[in-house]
This record gives sequence, structure tokens and C-alpha cells, in this order.
Amino acid sequence: MYVLAIETSTSRSSVAIVDQDRVLASASLGIPRRHGEFVAPAIGFCLTQAELSAERLTGIAVGLGPGLFTGLRVGIATAQSMAASLQLPAVGMSSLDVLAFQARYVPGLVAVVVDARRGELFWALYRSLPGGVQRQSGLRLGRIDQLTAELESQGEDVLVIGDGSLVYRRELQVVDVELAGPDIAWPDAAVLGELAVPRFIREETQRPTDLQPIYLREPDAELGWEERGRLYGGGRT
Amino acid sequence: MLVLGIETSCDETAVGIVEDRFALRANIIASQAELHAPFGGVVPEVAARAHLAQLVPTVDHALVSAGVGLSDIDAIAVTAGPGLAGALLVGVSAAKGMALAHDVPLIGVNHLRAHVEAAQLEYGELEPPLLALVVSGGHTSIVVMDADGRFRQLGGTIDDAAGEAFDKIARFIGLGYPGGPEIDRLAQQGDPTAFAFPRAMLHDDSYDLSLSGLKTAVIRELRRLEAAGEQPDLADVAASFQEAIVDVQVAKTLRAAGAEGLDQIVLAGGVAANSRLRARFAAECEANGQRLIVPSIPLCTDNGAMVAASGANLLAAGVTSDLGLAVDPNLALAAADATA
Ligand SMILES: [Zn+2]
Repeated sequence: MYVLAIETSTSRSSVAIVDQDRVLASASLGIPRRHGEFVAPAIGFCLTQAELSAERLTGIAVGLGPGLFTGLRVGIATAQSMAASLQLPAVGMSSLDVLAFQARYVPGLVAVVVDARRGELFWALYRSLPGGVQRQSGLRLGRIDQLTAELESQGEDVLVIGDGSLVYRRELQVVDVELAGPDIAWPDAAVLGELAVPRFIREETQRPTDLQPIYLREPDAELGWEERGRLYGGGRT
Repeated sequence: MLVLGIETSCDETAVGIVEDRFALRANIIASQAELHAPFGGVVPEVAARAHLAQLVPTVDHALVSAGVGLSDIDAIAVTAGPGLAGALLVGVSAAKGMALAHDVPLIGVNHLRAHVEAAQLEYGELEPPLLALVVSGGHTSIVVMDADGRFRQLGGTIDDAAGEAFDKIARFIGLGYPGGPEIDRLAQQGDPTAFAFPRAMLHDDSYDLSLSGLKTAVIRELRRLEAAGEQPDLADVAASFQEAIVDVQVAKTLRAAGAEGLDQIVLAGGVAANSRLRARFAAECEANGQRLIVPSIPLCTDNGAMVAASGANLLAAGVTSDLGLAVDPNLALAAADATA
């Protein structure tokens, strides 16, 4: 079994090829807004390093967010079109679940907090279980004060992970939580792949078109007239 | 040789398939107009979301329509710009996924030149040099395709695109979206000389156009009439407004053709569907002995077949893109993608 995993929901993009018990190849880039340029060449790199052709893949896994929309769509569009083209099963997973799994050996409550830009964050609470983690809350979108209120109301120690814990370090230090560092700040495609393998084995898979981002935020109703380039401006006919 | 073309630069999710550069095998367009109608214009985030939801089904639809499988496709062409960044990125990412899956070439295409090259699907091999007016809600550009196949831009709108002006005025006078067809319809009952709206930059030396002053003038006139308690004849307003837009497009395009010594004119883009614009160009070109090339409406509005045609030309010239292809919202008609 060869699973291609793509995770682009944060400012870090990563791709990996995994099988049941190892990561055959992986690549990541921590430079924001470069998902579009990075993902496809990285997949090519991983295939080459793993000495595989795309036809030998058995499934495509992708992180569905919540996260930064533009990056998410790069990963999901790539995953959709590869899965559809190769007629492969797909597995989409919440990127917060992937990130929580990266802290599965931590006892107690873990808050996964991802920077949503524009003064907001995505978050969810998790608790470790034998072999994994279990989500203890819904996936939320809110401001930092709403997050700190929720953390304070837990009445127990909480470890905060994700890039939100880096961006909002000062605000989070006011409440009594432990903050993780950059080592578990971004969801990783290799971990996503590892999580997805049992789903492919159990055939809990999706069709390519079922893969859609977890947005949690309504689209801005700002018209594109101003966004378009002027003289050469793009688009609509 | 089959090339599949993907177009997601604005609010149409479109996929076309072209065989051997000239034969149209499929041209499927999933319009988002209904999604944007409540806003009276294109909302970039709404467009990007809809592209992601529509793209794979539209590719499937195009393959079925052409009676081929993806494994029969020899290259994937995709609009890399100009357009809305988030919208472009969905198409380009999907195109890369397909190119990776079947190990076929990826070809990044310029949307404006693709509009011009769409004509080869109905007129056969274009014989440059020629002049093109690409006019839509996103662009109003006068471009030259030189004898060597290279494209260059002579001018364009410095503010609103023509289709955008149609949308804004349609919205102001309570017509539906998109505004172009609505104004066109209403104008047919109106008098184009009823109001003397401005034709900005009509007499200057550049090939640039400005339409925002016209839009403002129409709105100011309607407000003045309202304040005076007069009921304007909206058909007259629509006809006069449309005439002003058409006058400027025709005058600038023909002057450019004259100055460049070009006797073939291509009309492309969604606003090329406007009946008055078509009629005026037909009459003027006939009088001047110029050849007018106007693709039918499904090849004029944003479509995937034009992208496939442009990609097929690039491929024939040995031009392909690597998988790191970036989108460029302001992609210029650079000489780098010349086919000759
Ligand atoms: Zn266009």
C-alpha cells in the first residue's frame, strides 16, 4: 500500500508517501503562500525518491483544514484531481486532528490552535487515548479572548499546540496553560498518511469530489472589481 | 494529439478538449453567475470555493462529451493568469494533479491570448498579423498578434472593464446580473442618441480606454432626473450608455488597426456577445475592407477550449511549463510564450 498524503492548511506545506509501517519519502516548506508552487514538484520529488510511478499509488489522503483557504484549496484540488485521474480512493481528515495526533503521547488535555488570520483562530480540544487521540470539542473559529475563556473553563492543565500558540504566545501566557514549541506547530503530511492508512485498509474512503475544505467561515462578500489588476486585469467575460 | 484545457480565472469553471490544434472535441462551462448574482459582481472567495466544488465534475463532463478517457489526453493546459489569484490557483493545482497522475506535459496559458486563439477552432489557422479586442467583465484590452505569432498589448482600460461597467449600471437601474445581456436586451427598445454620455479618451493618442467616468455620468444623470421628478426612459438610458461604450471600443480598435496597418480584427471575450458591438464592428470592417473574426458565443466567453487551443499551439512550438508553475493575477502578454 502506498498512500500519498498532502497537507497545506497552514503556512507550512508538506507532502509524503507512506506505507503501512514507514514514511518512504516526505518534503515540506515553511515559507507562507508558496503552496501552489511547492506541492506538485514535491509530489514529483517524493515519487522519484520512493522509486514509484503515480500509477502505483493506492490512495490519496489530504488535510481538509480548517486553515488558510488558499493553501487548503491547493492541496485539495491537487488531491481531488490526482485521485480522480488515477481512479483512487481518497481520505480527507481534519488538519486539527492530524496536529493533535502529533501530540498523542501527551497525557491530559491538548488544545490545537491554528492561526486563522484577521484576528481569529481555529481550535479544538483533544485527549489522548490508547493508540490515538479523541476530539473533546467541536471545531471552533473565534477570537483569542474566546479561546482563553474556553481554556480557563476547563479546570485542568492544558497543553496548547499549533501555530496559534506561537502567534498568540503573549495572550495565552496570561492563562495557566503550557505552550508547545515549533516542533508541533504545523500538521505534517507524514502523520496524516500514517493516520489515513487504517482508513484505506478498512475502506472508509471518499470519492474525490467529497473532498472539500472545512471552511467554518463564510466567504467575504467583497467584490472582485478592486482586486483585479487594472490594465491587464483578469477574468470574467 | 488531445489537449485538455482548464479555465478558472474568474467565475466560470470551464474545461475544453481540442484535438490536433483545430478540432473542438468538448467545451463544458459550469457558470457561477447565480452564486454571484446577489452581489452584482464576482466575489473572489465565492468563486474560488465554487471552482473547487465544480472542477472535477466539469473535467468528467468534458471527457464524457469528447468520448475519451483522461489516459487519452496528451497534455494539460491551464490558465495561469491574468485573473483572480485564488480562483486561478484551483485550476492550476488541479491541472498539476492531472499532469502528475498521467505524466503528461503541463502548459500554463495566458488568458488573453487564449481568447484570441479560440478563433482557430472555427476559422482554422490564424494568419497573423492581426489585431484583437478582448472585452469582458475582467478585461478590455487591445492586443496585436504579430506575424511571428508573438502577442503584445497596445492598450486597455485604465479603470473599469466594459463588462464591469455593464454590471454596475445594470445594478444601478435594477436589472439582473450579469448586466451585459440585460442592458443589450433593454437597449434594443431604446434610442441610443437620447442621452449624450461622455466618450472618455476618445480623441487622445493612446489606445487606452476609461469607462469609470461614463458610469459616473450615467448615475449622475439618473439622480438629476430623479431629483427633478422626471421618470427616465430606462431603455433610452441603456441604449445611450451602450452606444457610448461601443463607440469607444470601435474607435480605439479601428484606429489601432489603421496605425498598425492590420486588416484582420478578432473580437473576443464575453462582451463580444453584445449585439450592438458585433453589428457596429461588422459594418465598420465591411466598409473598411477589413476581415472580422468573431468566434461564436461559447468560444467568446471564458471557456476551456480556448485554453486547450492556446496550449496546443504552445505545445506544438515546444513550450511547456514545469510543475512549479505559479499563477500570476497580472500576467502580461510576454514574449516568452510566443509560439513562432
Ligand atoms: Zn476572459
